Amino acid sequence: MAFLAVMEKEFRMFFRYPLRVVSSVLVGLVFLVQFVYFGQAVLGGRYSSILHASTGVGDYPTYALIGYVLWWVSVSPMEASVWGIRRELQRGTLESNVASPMGLLEMVVSLALSWMLMDSAIMAVVFLTGVIAFGVSLSWVALLKALPIVGLAFLAFLGSGLVFAGLVMVFKNIGPFAQIFEFLVLFISGVFFPLSTLPAWVVSLSKLIPLTHSASAVRKLLVGMSYLDVTGEVTWLLVLTPLYWLASYALFKWAERTARVMGYGGY
Amino acid sequence: MMPSIEVKDLKKSYPKRISLPFRRVEWVEALKGISFKVRKGELFGLLGPNGAGKTTTIKILTTLLEPSWGSAKVLGYDVVSQAREVRRRINLVAEGERTLYWRLSAYENLRYFASIYYVPKDEAEKRIRELLQLVGLWERRNDLVMGFSRGMKQRLAIAKALINDPEVLFLDEPTLGLDVQSALFVREFVERLVSEEGKTVLLTTHYMAEAEKLCDRIAIIDGGRIIALDTPENLKRLVSEGETVEIRVRNLRPEKVKEIDERLAVSEEDPTHGTLLLRGNLDEEDLPRVVERLIRAGAKVLSVERVEPTLEDVFIKLTGRALRD
Ligand SMILES: Nc1ncnc2c1ncn2[C@@H]1O[C@H](COP(=O)(O)OP(=O)(O)O)[C@@H](O)[C@H]1O
Ligand SMILES: [Mg+2]
Repeated sequence: MAFLAVMEKEFRMFFRYPLRVVSSVLVGLVFLVQFVYFGQAVLGGRYSSILHASTGVGDYPTYALIGYVLWWVSVSPMEASVWGIRRELQRGTLESNVASPMGLLEMVVSLALSWMLMDSAIMAVVFLTGVIAFGVSLSWVALLKALPIVGLAFLAFLGSGLVFAGLVMVFKNIGPFAQIFEFLVLFISGVFFPLSTLPAWVVSLSKLIPLTHSASAVRKLLVGMSYLDVTGEVTWLLVLTPLYWLASYALFKWAERTARVMGYGGY
Repeated sequence: MMPSIEVKDLKKSYPKRISLPFRRVEWVEALKGISFKVRKGELFGLLGPNGAGKTTTIKILTTLLEPSWGSAKVLGYDVVSQAREVRRRINLVAEGERTLYWRLSAYENLRYFASIYYVPKDEAEKRIRELLQLVGLWERRNDLVMGFSRGMKQRLAIAKALINDPEVLFLDEPTLGLDVQSALFVREFVERLVSEEGKTVLLTTHYMAEAEKLCDRIAIIDGGRIIALDTPENLKRLVSEGETVEIRVRNLRPEKVKEIDERLAVSEEDPTHGTLLLRGNLDEEDLPRVVERLIRAGAKVLSVERVEPTLEDVFIKLTGRALRD
């Protein structure tokens, strides 16, 4: 199957260099540690009742770890677009794919999914390290309960990240812009500090970001709350996901048409 | 019999800037209406200088670009509306050396392309082995493409282009930038594909000798138009009358050449020695007069030679310019 082939190719090219994998994990950990210590310094301790009141999770390392790991995975499909697809666009390998019967759409989606799974693998390591290092208490039952929500979140991340696939095909060099966007998402989706600390209009804006709802729901489930406590988040995700997929698809079709007029690649 | 490739009045313009909706753009006319047919089992060449529109033609025929006007069919399928049908049955060696994944091995590259061309798995294994042996890369199959020479990369690109056993094969400047030995390998390989396996091949080149030696028929393309289309022998008949000469001179500026004689063109320029090699198809008895005019224009004539006419002379005759590398 073509999808598996794309995935195998991406995995091979990434995991071929153990040093790069290790450095990704380290970068992930360094960022995390920084944020956790910074947050604790601001809060004046590990536990915050304000945090607990507004998010349901009062232990700051637990709060930050979950959101951070999800953030990293959530921007992965976007990175796959602005770096992965862009690279193939520049080099001409994209055309080798377009010319095949597989078609570009399948290739683009497969590529983004591959990157998301690779980043998930890295983040699984970071997560476990974080759990051990910060002494986060977790139960297997809670983890299992969170899995369906994580799955739904992944679908939403893919849909929203693929918006950039169409954009990169037309505007080519949007990496720097995407990077700004990435960090914006990090700060307004309630990953490191609760939404309640943000101005109202930013909070409204943050509702459009799948990460906001995914992080909130997964956090609640991991500290032992029930599905009933996350119906709001799940509803948001169920509404946003198809919308993002539709937007991505429309943008992709537009980009594909444009590329077939202007040429893929270097010009 | 149905032609393998049928191109009718194909035009292609590129917008010069990113075409945001409603923004005015300038258009570059890359193809200005070309038509030709390629028969099954034919080795057909598109010969022309840089910027002539060769790559554009190949990209349209391989469904990568949409024409602005006209139509193109490959194996009876329309390249726009039946792109998928076309893609299954063709393959291409694209221009340049970055069309494969350098961070995968030769074997992994072929396996990837076999998958995205939907070659059944057990068949793929067999074919990859055959192809790698055929292009002499079986021993190096597990090495990353990154470390390959230009020639090896091109041989792998050819193996990739045969992975789905295509009926029609497109090659865009397949010997460009290759060393002599690799170029020879590619030419002989392509020749055998057509003569022994009955494949239909369309290749582009700006090497006269390559087109002349390889192709059954050649379309000479310049400025987005086909200016001649025939067998190499028939094309050369255009310059069989008179005599073809090569004159090496010093102290002559290239712009002055047309003032000496319209039929002459600069086929080589050697800036380090300050010499030009002029070439042209002249009438009998014209030569002394041309030489005289050269001398009067202040040029130093180093040598004058009668040569066998080639396609280069056809191009000079048709366009007034030489087709230089
Ligand atoms: N994607 C593109 N956008 C704009 N102009 C292009 C593009 N591709 C090719 N061109 C222009 O179209 C003309 C034909 O190019 P091309 O088909 O690549 O010629 P060749 O392959 O014969 O060298 C050239 O003038 C080139 O600059
Ligand atoms: Mg070209």
